[in-house]
Amino acid sequence: MDKRSTVVFLFLFLSACAGRGPAPVEDREVESRVREPAKQDSAGVQVFPLQNPAVKELIADASAAESTGDYSQAATLLERALRIQPRDPEILQNLAEVQLQVNDFEQALNFAIRSYDIGPRVGEICSRNWRTISVAREHLGDHNGSLQAGKKAAECMNTKPESL
Amino acid sequence: MSPGDEAHDQMSKRSKKKRSRRKKSGTSPSRGWAGRIWKLLLLMAGVFLGLLLPWVTYLNYQVTTEFEGRKWDLPSRVYARALDLFPGARITLQDLEKELGLSGYRRSEQVTRPGLYGISGNTLDIHRRAFGFPDGAEDAIRLRVRLAGEEITAVSDVASGRHLELARLDPAEIASIYPLQKEDRTLVKITEAPPLLLTGLQAVEDRNFKHHPGVDLRGIARAAAANLRAGKAVQGGSTLTQQLVKNYFLTQDRTVTRKFNEAIMAVLLELHYGKAEILEAYINEVFLGQQGAYAVHGFGQASLFYFDQPLERLEARHIALLIGLVKGASYYNPRRHPDRAKKRRNQVLSAFAETGLMTESEAALAAAAPLGVSREPRSRGTRYHAFVDLVRRQLAQVYREEDLKTEGLRIFTTLVPHVQEKAQRSVTDGLHNLEERGLSSSLQGALVVADVASGEVQALIGDRDASRAGFNRAIHARRQIGSVIKPLVYLLALEHDEDYTLLTRIEDEPVTLKLADGSAWTPANYDGKSHGEVTLLEALTQSYNQATVRLGLNIGVNHLLNRVKQLGVDADIDAVPSVFLGAVELTPLEVTQIYQSLAAGGFSVPLRSVIAVQTADGDELVRYPLRIMPQPRREAIGVLNYALTEVVEQGTAKRLQGLLGRQVTLAGKTGTTNDRRDSWYVGYTRNRIAVAWVGEDDNRPAGVTGSNAAMRLWAGLFRELPVEPVDLRMPDGAYWFWVDGGSGWLTGEKCDGAIQIPFVDGSEPRQATDCLATRDKDKDSIWKKWFGKKDG
Repeated sequence: MDKRSTVVFLFLFLSACAGRGPAPVEDREVESRVREPAKQDSAGVQVFPLQNPAVKELIADASAAESTGDYSQAATLLERALRIQPRDPEILQNLAEVQLQVNDFEQALNFAIRSYDIGPRVGEICSRNWRTISVAREHLGDHNGSLQAGKKAAECMNTKPESL
Repeated sequence: MSPGDEAHDQMSKRSKKKRSRRKKSGTSPSRGWAGRIWKLLLLMAGVFLGLLLPWVTYLNYQVTTEFEGRKWDLPSRVYARALDLFPGARITLQDLEKELGLSGYRRSEQVTRPGLYGISGNTLDIHRRAFGFPDGAEDAIRLRVRLAGEEITAVSDVASGRHLELARLDPAEIASIYPLQKEDRTLVKITEAPPLLLTGLQAVEDRNFKHHPGVDLRGIARAAAANLRAGKAVQGGSTLTQQLVKNYFLTQDRTVTRKFNEAIMAVLLELHYGKAEILEAYINEVFLGQQGAYAVHGFGQASLFYFDQPLERLEARHIALLIGLVKGASYYNPRRHPDRAKKRRNQVLSAFAETGLMTESEAALAAAAPLGVSREPRSRGTRYHAFVDLVRRQLAQVYREEDLKTEGLRIFTTLVPHVQEKAQRSVTDGLHNLEERGLSSSLQGALVVADVASGEVQALIGDRDASRAGFNRAIHARRQIGSVIKPLVYLLALEHDEDYTLLTRIEDEPVTLKLADGSAWTPANYDGKSHGEVTLLEALTQSYNQATVRLGLNIGVNHLLNRVKQLGVDADIDAVPSVFLGAVELTPLEVTQIYQSLAAGGFSVPLRSVIAVQTADGDELVRYPLRIMPQPRREAIGVLNYALTEVVEQGTAKRLQGLLGRQVTLAGKTGTTNDRRDSWYVGYTRNRIAVAWVGEDDNRPAGVTGSNAAMRLWAGLFRELPVEPVDLRMPDGAYWFWVDGGSGWLTGEKCDGAIQIPFVDGSEPRQATDCLATRDKDKDSIWKKWFGKKDG
């Protein structure tokens, strides 16, 4: 590798780390543009309903399937979890993220909206909801919508539930 | 004829020629004689070529087509959903036992093998079978399941004692989709068949199977001798190959021609196929019993039919019985003629001993044991005709009916057996009950039950009589839906939030419309009265016709028809004002589709009955994943959902909670059509939606109303199911406010006459009562804090 290409490579490598620039249309987008930033800006604010251990197990199995690239199996397991707990925002958001990874942006968008509608509308899951919506809208060519969703993701942190 | 057949014919010609040559070398040395014989042989060859060869060619074609074609005809198996067992699962011991029974489990003192379960107190010991689920195969496992009240409290693996978060039951086989021949078969590969079955069959039916060319002259002689010795027929002379041919062309005539054809076809079959292939076809083809209209073919199916166990789990005495049945499945039918069957089985056991397949003492021990036949064959689940119709409909989009009948597909459906059973009972008993109250005995009913969020159809009833497989009303009965349409009129009004809220006042006064044909139409209210100025909420909950028509006219009928389409039903509806009062013909299934969208807060899901389809070997062919579609203006749907709970709280369905015996927030709508021809009730809980219809098949006045008939059926079902209250949390864009019930102004939670009502954002009242100004100025309600509109 010559000097110049090394510099170019390093530049690309570091810019990828910084998370700027056009995101590659690939599965890691879900980590770099949804999960990681949501985790960071939520700073530990998690508002999940009580989860059944059976659902937890299925979510874990689905994550395992997802990490091996078996998205169909991941979706099947999440749907099974949804049968046990039909109104669980985390299952729905995970389904949205699976759809994102198989490039079904319309369904990714729909599952994320559903998760937001019945979810806590604050904290990490809220941020994942809007970030997914933002990425999906971008892929669907709705740039304004994508930007707005990005702003909504930031708002998830401003509206923590007040004490009674 | 295919080129392959031609080649086979060449082969059979060659073999005949060989035989001719042998004959020649064995004849007299005399030349003159030889010449004559030679001529005679030529003549015979001529006749053979001229007549016999075309005949053999024809038989060859027949037998090979049959062998290739029918060998693998397998009915598709249709499974219910698999029951998840986990701590917290809501199910009663009674329902769990019901599910076990439907999955073919039997209660036993000793839970010694898969397929058995035992109960002690509130604990079940279930030996779950191995099963290939749509998301993976699982081995057999012994599960211990503890219940308390209506809930599972613990699940564990008996072998390891390990606590399990989640396990499941193998699903009930609810139906098979059969080939036209009405044959039932569970395919067995020769490599997976018990060795004793293969050797035993030969010992009893065809000892020279490995060596003969299809027919066995020595075998015939030996059988004749044996029969002579015994003084009766104990052995048959037909080879297994001949028997297979005979099974293919089931004619009962015992003519010489048939025997002759059978022999030729057997030889032809042996020329084309190996011994293993022929034996494999045989063990899957042979007729071994009759279950109703269905013939039981092959040892795999016979094993399930007689012993309720897969073939590989059978003991020697069971295998002996099945082999014995080859001789005459109805004569030796072990359920009808146990003595005959036992005698026959023991003859087979002696043949096993005689040929060294087992020792004399083993045979004697087995001969002393009982037959071990299950009391009744496992039901083929034909009770669920209506649901299976729906399955066929969904699959017809992907598969040809022919494939369903022959490819042995494994079809995983959404049916929840205990809900289906209860739904059928509620229809059957509910209509019977109406009969006792003086209504007609020819009333019919339909009921569809689905999961709100996933659109999975859990139960479908299309006839008051479960055993009838005819007209399926849930799918095919197109009937006027009456007031069941009205919520959509109000939904459209709420979407025009600048003009309408639930508290907007409209006139319930007579209205006369000129119709396209020139006639006038003046709809009346159910009680024959007009109610003056009423709120949208009152008009909907009391189902006032005049107010609804006036509202509808402001909105426009085309708007309404578009909304119906948007909610997932593409029906051909005339755009006339009577549509506002439900002059729209829809099926119960279509009504379910429309209300699923509402019940799920505006997330439409196409109703599904099939989740996945696998090949006979368990490879996934197709999966029907959950796909959701958000409706526009979900905030208006949220507000409408509240209004529909008021229908149950104080509207036309207010008797529902009494019928249920429970105070719980439910949403619903009654529907009655002109002259009381149709009775509808659509209702949903948090997780389940059900649509009930009652009426006469010929559409004559039936004396029914929404609340006197269909609602009773609905209540009959939900009395037997866990009921969760409807979730009234508003989606983004709609908020709860405290308002004064009289003036409709904003008020404080603690003010007199305060009621809480949801509004689409921005449509909430502008004026406030004095009470709000003085008492609650700085104090927002807890509701509003948590779920209400944010400042700004």
